[in-house]
Amino acid sequence: MSFSVTLRDVTLKYGDTEALSDVDLDLEADKIYGLLGRNGAGKTTLLSLLAAFRRPTAGEVLVDGRPVWENAEVVSRVALVREGGDFDDTDKVEAAMKSGEIRPDFDLDYALELAEKFELPLDRKIRDLSRGKRSVLAAICGLAARAELTMYDEVHLGMDAPTRDGFYKALLAEYLERPHTVILSTHLIDEVANYLEEVVILDRGGILRHEPIETLQGVGATLTGPAGAVDEVVAGLEVLAEQRLGGTKSVTVGTELDAQSRERAAASGIELGPVGLQDLFIHLTEPDRTGA
Amino acid sequence: MPADTNLKLPTRRYSIGFGVAWEAHKYFKWWFAVIIVLAMVTPPAVFQFSSTEIEVSAWEFAAYSGKIFSAIVAGTFLYTMFPNALAQGLTRREFATSMGLFGPVWSLILGALALAGFILEHLWYGLFDWNQAIQRGDRDLALDSLGAVLTHGVTYPLSYLLFFAGGALIGAACYRWDGGWLILVPVAPVVFSLDFALTRADPWGPGWFRWLTGLSGDASSPVAAAAMVVVIAALAWIGRAILLETPVRAKKA
Repeated sequence: MSFSVTLRDVTLKYGDTEALSDVDLDLEADKIYGLLGRNGAGKTTLLSLLAAFRRPTAGEVLVDGRPVWENAEVVSRVALVREGGDFDDTDKVEAAMKSGEIRPDFDLDYALELAEKFELPLDRKIRDLSRGKRSVLAAICGLAARAELTMYDEVHLGMDAPTRDGFYKALLAEYLERPHTVILSTHLIDEVANYLEEVVILDRGGILRHEPIETLQGVGATLTGPAGAVDEVVAGLEVLAEQRLGGTKSVTVGTELDAQSRERAAASGIELGPVGLQDLFIHLTEPDRTGA
Repeated sequence: MPADTNLKLPTRRYSIGFGVAWEAHKYFKWWFAVIIVLAMVTPPAVFQFSSTEIEVSAWEFAAYSGKIFSAIVAGTFLYTMFPNALAQGLTRREFATSMGLFGPVWSLILGALALAGFILEHLWYGLFDWNQAIQRGDRDLALDSLGAVLTHGVTYPLSYLLFFAGGALIGAACYRWDGGWLILVPVAPVVFSLDFALTRADPWGPGWFRWLTGLSGDASSPVAAAAMVVVIAALAWIGRAILLETPVRAKKA
């Protein structure tokens, strides 16, 4: 039984700075979530609360409907894999893997199998690993934890493209074999988009959007054409960004165009284009969303 | 993998405590071996070259340095292991309990080693007709019988545990706060003061430190031992309280 996540009015302050402000969030179990946000948006802070690395200043953090703080039943089945992992640098790779057996469900055989697949040298000290190999070790420990809620916070940093691809495939295979809740926090948005079922976008310490990936991918459109015609079609719609070059205007809208608007746009010579998840994210989180 | 190699949730805190103590001793086994050899070989070597009779215990220096070593091990192990243990899904309470077992087991094993070293040295010195004595300023404490050796050596496990508890508290404070090392200021004098009182040793260090740590000098050994037990419990309780509210630090880029 994998874990759901609930945050109620959660605020976390570092001194006078609010990293998260009155956050409410519900994540169902057995799904793969993407956690997106600009630097400093509060992604790592949110994940730290879910792993009980920190206690919120206010509000309630529930995992599987139970408070996560100091709850051995819960935290032993929650894994937060941070960039580079949390290891004793003087340990050897194999020893670091074996330390995962603190967890009731850690699968050492699986970890060793992945280490072989990713060519991780077991007898090397962690401090002697390259950044990429260290990231691989962290990812392997996250996969082999067999946790009910596994969170990867920028764990791919340092991995080359084939290794990242291998990691995503291993993650998906593990998920299909044993459905559980996964949260991927990343800046490589388009790279992971195909694996995500829902996306949570954080901005300035709050939840900006929480939607199924299909909804987000279908939510926007880019209209490019004569300025007057574009303005006419987008009138009344949520404009995410606009750019103008001479008499040509390009407008990104955050709402799906109905059939009538599409017909009108086509008749006016307006070109319609999709908005990728990364483009939409950039538009949604721009400090000045009009792009002026 | 065989399922029974994974730790069981209700008892893993105890397994980890004993396991870390065992692994720590295994990790330092060669250090201990070198110290034992040095302590046993140095006196005959000195005698060979200076022809002066050996009158002080060389093992005392090794055993005494074990106190500082225990504090360092406690502090550095706690500082390093805390974030990693929590990242592996341990709670703060479980970690604190593990450290609470690690300390006594470490101190018992190291204390047993210290006592065995004194007994071995007593027999070793006996072969050469040397006096085994502990330097105490202008008066030496003669270990002229196995009973005297036992009386002296038996205090070490308690001393090691006291230093371990002090080191662990300093380690916890250093992890919790950037200026956490300042807790050294009250902890060190208390720890040294009680240890001086128990072992009837002369305080050392700068004048203010000697004065501070010499305050308990008039306490009898049973009183000093009882005070040690109370202080060990207090240090452990404060350390645990600090750990229970300590967040895992953000990783540096």
